[in-house]
Amino acid sequence: MIEARNLVKTFPARGGLLAQKAVQAVKGVSFVIPDGGAVAFIGESGCGKTTIGRILSGFETYDSGEIYYNGEDLSALPPRTRQERLRKVQLIQQDPYAALNPARTIYQSLAAPLSWEAKRRHKEKGWIERRAREVLELVGLNPDVVLGKYPHMLSGGQRQRIVIARALTVEPDVLVADEAISMIDVSLRLGILTLLQTLRRDYGIALLFITHDIAAARYIGHDGRMYVIYQGEIVEEASTDELIRSPVHPYSQALLSAVPVLRGLERPGQDRYIPLGEFSVTETSGCRFAPRCRFAHDLCQKEKPPLIPWEQEDHRHACHFPTPRRVVAEPLEGHS
Amino acid sequence: MIAEQLPQPTTSAATLRRPSFLSIAWRVISARPSRMLGLAIIVFFALMAIVGPFLYPHNLPINPNAIYAPPSLRYPLGTDFEGTSNLALIVTGARYVLFAALMAALFTVFFGTSIGLVSGYFLGPTDTILMRITDFILTIPGFPLLVVLSTVWNFGQPIAMGFVLGITGWGGLARAVRSQTLSLRERGFVEAARGLGLPWWHIVFQEILPNIGPYIAMNLLVSITGGIYAEVGLFYLGVVPFHVNNWGVMLNLAVFTGGALQSPQALPYLLSPLVCILLLTLGVVLFLDAMDEMFNPRLREG
Amino acid sequence: MSLYDLAPTAEDAGIHIQNLTVSYDTDRGRFNALKNVTLDIRPRHITGFIGESGSGKTTLAMAMMNAIQPPGRIDGGAILLDGAGDVLQLRGEPLRRLRGRYFGFVFQASSNSLNPLKRVGAQLMDLGRSHGISDLRGLLREAKALAERIGLDGDRVLTSYQHELSGGMRQRVGLVFALVLKARILILDEPTTALDMLTQQAVLEIVRSIHQEQGLTTIVITHDMGVVAEMADRVVVMYAGRVVEEGPTFSLLTNPQHPYTQGLIRAIPRITGNLDDAKPLPGSPPDLATIPTKGCVFRERCYARTSVCDTVDPVPTSAHGDGLVMCHGVDAS
Repeated sequence: MIEARNLVKTFPARGGLLAQKAVQAVKGVSFVIPDGGAVAFIGESGCGKTTIGRILSGFETYDSGEIYYNGEDLSALPPRTRQERLRKVQLIQQDPYAALNPARTIYQSLAAPLSWEAKRRHKEKGWIERRAREVLELVGLNPDVVLGKYPHMLSGGQRQRIVIARALTVEPDVLVADEAISMIDVSLRLGILTLLQTLRRDYGIALLFITHDIAAARYIGHDGRMYVIYQGEIVEEASTDELIRSPVHPYSQALLSAVPVLRGLERPGQDRYIPLGEFSVTETSGCRFAPRCRFAHDLCQKEKPPLIPWEQEDHRHACHFPTPRRVVAEPLEGHS
Repeated sequence: MIAEQLPQPTTSAATLRRPSFLSIAWRVISARPSRMLGLAIIVFFALMAIVGPFLYPHNLPINPNAIYAPPSLRYPLGTDFEGTSNLALIVTGARYVLFAALMAALFTVFFGTSIGLVSGYFLGPTDTILMRITDFILTIPGFPLLVVLSTVWNFGQPIAMGFVLGITGWGGLARAVRSQTLSLRERGFVEAARGLGLPWWHIVFQEILPNIGPYIAMNLLVSITGGIYAEVGLFYLGVVPFHVNNWGVMLNLAVFTGGALQSPQALPYLLSPLVCILLLTLGVVLFLDAMDEMFNPRLREG
Repeated sequence: MSLYDLAPTAEDAGIHIQNLTVSYDTDRGRFNALKNVTLDIRPRHITGFIGESGSGKTTLAMAMMNAIQPPGRIDGGAILLDGAGDVLQLRGEPLRRLRGRYFGFVFQASSNSLNPLKRVGAQLMDLGRSHGISDLRGLLREAKALAERIGLDGDRVLTSYQHELSGGMRQRVGLVFALVLKARILILDEPTTALDMLTQQAVLEIVRSIHQEQGLTTIVITHDMGVVAEMADRVVVMYAGRVVEEGPTFSLLTNPQHPYTQGLIRAIPRITGNLDDAKPLPGSPPDLATIPTKGCVFRERCYARTSVCDTVDPVPTSAHGDGLVMCHGVDAS
């Protein structure tokens, strides 16, 4: 189990000619990833969800807050030990084309982590290849076909499966999938989602699914939990089904509205709305979403709404005027 | 689950064992006649360097009756100022020239690559220190340094010559390798390797290095020709004392004592090393084109 | 059936593709990227081209502008553009003028089609000059108006460099470039692939309204059925260089005939309904080198494969009223 409390990450200012202001990418985020659970972070590009995933998989440090990994406070550990602990949290990157070394065969890519694993556990030589075949079969690829291939000989879907297989070589507790399907042909996306689902169900690997595609997040764990993130803050959180059924924050509603409607098969939700404005980081004392919110009042510009429960304890939101709206498309009769 | 299995299964032994590097190299080279020609030229000179000195006595015979003789059956490339066969001089002189150039190239590539890789991967203070050293090396004028060194150092051994040429020549390569490493280290696969807990030497030498393999291989070849030019140039200018017979010495003697630029009689003496250098360069250039394909799997098997 | 069934005017630019075959020369031989494509693209409609990578949808769009680059080659066929004749017969300057007058092309959102070293405004003036427009000031004014119309700060954008714009903004700038020269035909190649959902919807919304307002012929190339379902009037489903199904969006979505179309629709994770209804499409996207030369190209991934699929090429059968489908399974029934 991973528990994060009040995580804060600021990227330092860059001086010189291209001077940039310091950017606070994550502004005090708390969440829990239970063992074998499914958690989704939803938000636009630039909202900070990727940074959280990178902190969890050990690629970024954090400025303040705590991360408890199976009860152990990682913040207290020296960086090296912390990274060692976080090895069991594996990041699946967005771009399967960049994630595999073009100059090495699939076998070489898998054997590298496995041979360290073999050394650590004093396994014999044949173990590496056996295990490489095992993980490939686990992700639905035929080892005889792919082991000797180079990445450029495989399709995007196959590559992403190999990236997942490589992550499995360290027997992870958590897979962090950062937009893991957005660069793959739509026709193959579902296959990857099904694979992640299976890994969770059969091997108890928890999933942190970072995406802007709520439908995909739902597919991976409708029994899981969803956190909607806007400009580095959680604006709404609930169980996945609950959040899709009755979102109360206008930003969650906008994200849900943006899911394409299959005309003929679905009817758009009657309150559907898409904000046209661009995502821009502005400092404000009020609600950060207010400049784009069509329901914003004076209060929203002045006062920052706290994250408080809505009806049930585990559905929380940060909006002064939470209102359930019907924004999700509904299936038409006969075409469910 | 088994959504993307490819239909045709092959035998398991064949999949892991890639065709050996030599067989790949042969396929790439034999694909074009120009590469074959390049390889043939390189092999020809390499053989000359290895076997050459054994074909002739240690002290080449002189012939006072055939000074600056034109090419003939007995002297296919003519003779020099003492009536020694130019062919014999070329053949016996090849070893020093080629060995020194090879050494120079190996030193250049070894230092340039490892310093560039380490500097580009670690950044920070490591990078600063290594790049300062590189800049220092880049600003050393290699030629004058050699001239100075030659007063205290005996360049009779090709390895000494190669070492000095290499030690002054790796700066540019180190900078180039560093900049390639800088872009590669940001790639997903390097990050993934870090996330998998692989140690830095694995990442640098197993993940990053193979991706600049073609570039380094080409640099090695180009450095060889560069090394030949540099040392031949040194001997030609006469700034390095001649201890042994080699192509550069021949050029020097042909021009400065034979007067090959004024009178035609020493021309064969001048032209034979010159043509050899040009021929070898041609061979390297023709062969160069095979390097990219040999080391780049994407080009190798389309 | 169409949303805006207006009487055609002289400005309407329909495209009639006849028997188009395009091939690519590769190390492994010459392959057909498009084979015998015959298709009518209607004016004042948004036509969505959908297919996986390697289906030939981008090649088809490039062929419409006669812009296939080597190693590609147009082997045969004709592309008749209303009011301009066969585009494939044109070369050089007349072709360039025709492209400038008729076509606006918006590249993939992920690709950086802008020059990183020049301000957007300067690039726009270059574009105007290359099209022989004398009133560059007017062009800038129009571009600014257009930019503001689609939710951009006109002055800011025109004085920006590419890296100062976000993905969604770049895509909108691409739209401005395509539209400011008064193109009649707007081609969008994967307009939203690298964008997040909110930005995607905003871009689609903008395209839709401009299309309607200016009476354009719009072509959207995508691999996302969701994008097509949101905005297209008609859908062309492509597989391995063939049009396998074509028809009005509504009918095609509710009653897909070709097993491939059915698979594509089923493969979309949906926000509502039963999770188990979604099924991955089996197999890999088509590889030009390995697609069969005889018989149905989709048969390896088809659930309804019969022996006739291996030997006989399916022929177009009328479907969806004024559309078509190419499948033996449909012929039989």
